[in-house]
Amino acid sequence: MAKYIGKRLIYMVITLALIATFTFFLMKVLPGSPVASADKLSPEQRAVVEARYGLNDPLPVQYFNYMFGLVQGDLGISINQFKGAEVTDVILSRMGPSAQIGFQGMVLGTVLGILLGMIAALRQNTWVDYTSTFVAIVGISIPSFVFASLLQYWFGLKWDLFPVALWKDGFMSSVLPSVALAMFPLATAARFIRTEMIEVLGSDYITLAKAKGASGSEIAFKHAFRNALIPLVTVLGPMAVSILTGSLVVEQIFAIPGIGEQFVKSIIVSDFSIIMGTTIFFSVFLILIILLVDILYGVIDPRIRLSGGKS
Amino acid sequence: MTQKIDKIPELPKGSFERITLDAHQAERITKPSVSFWQDAWYRIRKNKGALFSLILFGLIVIMAFLGPIISPYEPNAQTITHANLPPKIPVIENLGILDGVGTLGGQEVDLYEMKNVEVNYWFGTDGLGRDMFSRVWKGTQVSLFIAFVAAAIDMLIGVIYGGISGYFGGRVDDFMQRIVEILTGIPNLVVVILFILIMDPGILAIIIALTITGWTGMSRVVRGQVLKYKSQEFVLAARTLGASDSRIIWKHLMPNVLGVIIINTMFTIPSAIFFEAFLSFIGLGLQAPDASLGTLINDGYALIQFSPHILAFPAILLSLIMIAFNLIGDGLRDALDPKMKD
Amino acid sequence: MRNSKIFWLLSLVLVLSAFLAACGGGDDTDTSTETTDGTEGTEPAGDLDSEQVLNLMESAEIPTMDISLAEDAVAFNIFNNVNEGLFRLNQENIAEPALAEGEPEVSEDGLTYTFKLRDSNWSDGTPVTANDFVYSWQRSIDPATGSPYGAYMMAGSIVNATEIAAGDMEPTELGVTAVDDNTLEVQLERPVPYFMSLMSFPTFYPQNEAFVTEKGDAYASNSENLIFNGPFTLTDWDGTGLTWKMQKNPEYWDAETVQLETINVDVVKEPATAVNLYNSGEKDRAGLSGEFAMQYANDENLVTELEPTVFYFKLNQERNGEENALKNVNIRQAIAKGFNKQDLVDVVLANGSLPANFLVPTEFAFDESNADFREVNGDLIEFNAEEAAELFATGMEELGVEEVTLEILGGDTETAKNMDAYLKEQLETNLEGLTINLKAVPFGVRLELDEAQDYDIQTAGWGPDYQDPMTFIDLFVTGSAQNKMSYSNPEYDALVESAKGELATDPAARWEAMAQAEKILLEDDAAIAPIYQRGAMALQQPYVNGIIKHPFGGDFSYKWAYISGKE
Repeated sequence: MAKYIGKRLIYMVITLALIATFTFFLMKVLPGSPVASADKLSPEQRAVVEARYGLNDPLPVQYFNYMFGLVQGDLGISINQFKGAEVTDVILSRMGPSAQIGFQGMVLGTVLGILLGMIAALRQNTWVDYTSTFVAIVGISIPSFVFASLLQYWFGLKWDLFPVALWKDGFMSSVLPSVALAMFPLATAARFIRTEMIEVLGSDYITLAKAKGASGSEIAFKHAFRNALIPLVTVLGPMAVSILTGSLVVEQIFAIPGIGEQFVKSIIVSDFSIIMGTTIFFSVFLILIILLVDILYGVIDPRIRLSGGKS
Repeated sequence: MTQKIDKIPELPKGSFERITLDAHQAERITKPSVSFWQDAWYRIRKNKGALFSLILFGLIVIMAFLGPIISPYEPNAQTITHANLPPKIPVIENLGILDGVGTLGGQEVDLYEMKNVEVNYWFGTDGLGRDMFSRVWKGTQVSLFIAFVAAAIDMLIGVIYGGISGYFGGRVDDFMQRIVEILTGIPNLVVVILFILIMDPGILAIIIALTITGWTGMSRVVRGQVLKYKSQEFVLAARTLGASDSRIIWKHLMPNVLGVIIINTMFTIPSAIFFEAFLSFIGLGLQAPDASLGTLINDGYALIQFSPHILAFPAILLSLIMIAFNLIGDGLRDALDPKMKD
Repeated sequence: MRNSKIFWLLSLVLVLSAFLAACGGGDDTDTSTETTDGTEGTEPAGDLDSEQVLNLMESAEIPTMDISLAEDAVAFNIFNNVNEGLFRLNQENIAEPALAEGEPEVSEDGLTYTFKLRDSNWSDGTPVTANDFVYSWQRSIDPATGSPYGAYMMAGSIVNATEIAAGDMEPTELGVTAVDDNTLEVQLERPVPYFMSLMSFPTFYPQNEAFVTEKGDAYASNSENLIFNGPFTLTDWDGTGLTWKMQKNPEYWDAETVQLETINVDVVKEPATAVNLYNSGEKDRAGLSGEFAMQYANDENLVTELEPTVFYFKLNQERNGEENALKNVNIRQAIAKGFNKQDLVDVVLANGSLPANFLVPTEFAFDESNADFREVNGDLIEFNAEEAAELFATGMEELGVEEVTLEILGGDTETAKNMDAYLKEQLETNLEGLTINLKAVPFGVRLELDEAQDYDIQTAGWGPDYQDPMTFIDLFVTGSAQNKMSYSNPEYDALVESAKGELATDPAARWEAMAQAEKILLEDDAAIAPIYQRGAMALQQPYVNGIIKHPFGGDFSYKWAYISGKE
């Protein structure tokens, strides 16, 4: 196991290095000027500014400087969005709220989704089943920005149950954004669990358990649920991605000082260092999730051998 | 099976007939031979949800092409004096809905009367006085086009890449999988955004951006399936019986992999439509005045409290498409799974 | 058995949601009391509430609070309220002495200004001296600082500024000296009639040398590393966050005028969210963009302000070094006359904007007899479909082409996209043979395309930097930074030059020269095609009083604002 994880970590570093390289050169072909207010600076001033941020160095030098900084956790300096701020600081200062609503949304969505899926499977082809399927499909059918603004309008403004927006009232502020983010995990988990449960419920060992006289709930929870849960781990990856994507929208709508909101802005103002830093940060997050999923998969389901896989 | 039989009734003579064992008959197949597709069609027909979705989707596609034609207005034609009209449909208006009444400054008024508009806009108009009916259908057309092309490219690259990787295995597979791993490591959202920034914005940019990492999902699935089936007994059996490589690929591997490919595509299409809508939200969508469902929803969502029709129609249509595709996808998954043959 | 489990789960969900609803209930009463209070109180202005707190929103975060580096509206607005220069725009938007004690002494040739400073303190209690100005200005003009506004505001006016910005002279040679702690002397290269209003611009504010040097790289990185001399101090700003506060500055020389104790500011980028926050009573003022302006057109709390910002098409005559159809003056005039501006402002923008047939905005610059520059120069290029069609046909004939395809490069905001879609339709309908392609890109990208002259038509806007028509008139002289469209007319250049130079001391002739230059630019050459002068709408709670909107520099002053009738 340790050996496997070690190997994966090495791969991870290589992958990250390649991603960093890829984004670095992508940034160089990106339109937009790396120095803001280019229209107001004289050529001399511009040269001074570019020299300060090392933008005049030959490309390979810039590249190695960047990679060298990256190894030390230095993602460079923001030029446009927050003039002179360390990108690492910017990301760190914005991480908390994103992590909180992301985590809450994920947990809320998964738990509710599992419940919904289970109920649907146990009551297959009844109105309960149809309702839950409907909820699940609607959940992935409405764009998150529409859903988020509906939540804001009704739960925030009209019914006044939660703050309309802003990040001021601690947990209460995080409720609506978390719910908005929870929709995709909820729908995915519900559909997944339902399918798996139905399959498991029809399998031989459930029949055996029934034959042995196990009670309904015992079958549902002890046997069926546990086995249905395993494949759910595989969709954790897509769910994490959806949380990332969703955060861009949800944070902007609820005016939350998170990374997603800040990333959108950095694109608009062409702040290359922040775009690059955030990309790398997102990538680390995603790769870690993928690694976690693989490890979890091995832990939960002993039938999967981690080192194998190839025939 | 569980029926209890109390007593065996008397059977009339001649009910049974003695047969002689005939070795030649053993190989005879009594069930009519159905092809893979006939079988799939047979089973999907039984799935009411999927069938309904298929019909619904068919209607949407037809309307996407017919809608802009039957509407008396061009999708991009502006009649500025007719801006922001609510929907009005001739017969239905008598029911008190879709009758051209909207709120203005907090009061309910018939905006058609107020603005002296003689004609009817079935889905209302937007802020520039463009007919929403033709725009919504035109937008559907564009969204579906983007989604289908993106899905087709994903499928093509994904199947070839995954197929090669899985079928050859070994070092080739190792190398190819590393590349995929790197690509999946970058969040697709970031890649899409970056590519849209590099290219001139537009339909082409969106399609390329969507496919640039989109195919990795497909390639993984195909590779997994190929890996799984190529070492299975029936392939071994076929090989032992002297089947050629191409026969193995086409007759034995394909039917098994095809289901997964189609299902995967079915789920790619809605997610492409969705992503396009998302891009509109962050301002990287289609170029005006072209419309897609995504841009229409994005235009409408700010007006949700005052002109809800601008959001409602594209949103409903998007939801219908998503629901249809998901149900068709589910149905196909059941229908195409060879294990579930009855 | 199985049922009971599920019902147990369901009831758990129900209990949970009830609990959440209950939590929300508490909030409910809180905010609703606030709102009712707000709407009930309509007592006459003047009765101050005991709680002087203003809740505002911004649409973007602060990129920097370094006076030399700032260039955006958010930072300028804060500077205008937490710092102060020699002059400040008053409630009537006229520059009046602030840190300067009375009007300066001006030499006869108009080239030397001597300011006496009043006794005032920085927020840490140390006095503001003439040297703080000298240091600040030198810092901004030093090319090593990379100040976007430094050279832009000083070059051509203050002695040696141009040479220093180019790196040919030392910053210490800038024409500004501290005669003593309370006397500042400024040497100008040419007379600048609008010099007083220039002095209210944040770039000319003082900076505390000791403080800046001590903080080094950390200077201005968050509210802890800032020092103030204005009506308020900035607090609770962490440098990258979406929230900050302004607190009354007890050290401010005119602190007794300031009524507000605290201003809470939050960044809300989504217009719909801003409106919802206003409606929930959480915020006292919300700017209304595009669609929302229309929806709240009849709201009693709507405030409409005409801004001196003009939007126009830049007509690029040489794309990537190659001449295009826009080189032809008839084509340019056809485009400038080929779209209905009235419908645009009434229906598409619907935010109080005016159709612009001019470059210098209305209600902005006034001559000695207090006549609006616009009244002097009138409408210069109006919508006229027939004339435009004729001009276009003539133009195409001269070019020998049957059809023309042009691209409009525009902004990527909702309003900008809508407007461009409208203009495309208008131009294509009115000018036969014209095809318009739209291209919407983020602002940063647009700057680069502009720089490279890689566009045909661009929607651009300009707001003034000081109160004089010149801030608009000189935009398009040959080779200027804004003229990235190969426009060049020696006659226009000469008029601008004379207005800046020999006519500087003759206001009437100078005014006339600028009027003439604008005529040439628009009427004769149609170098640009004006579209509209921007109006802004906002919802503002009736208990908020005395927020002053300024035409340039920082957008608002809260110095005179107060809360009355909220309680």
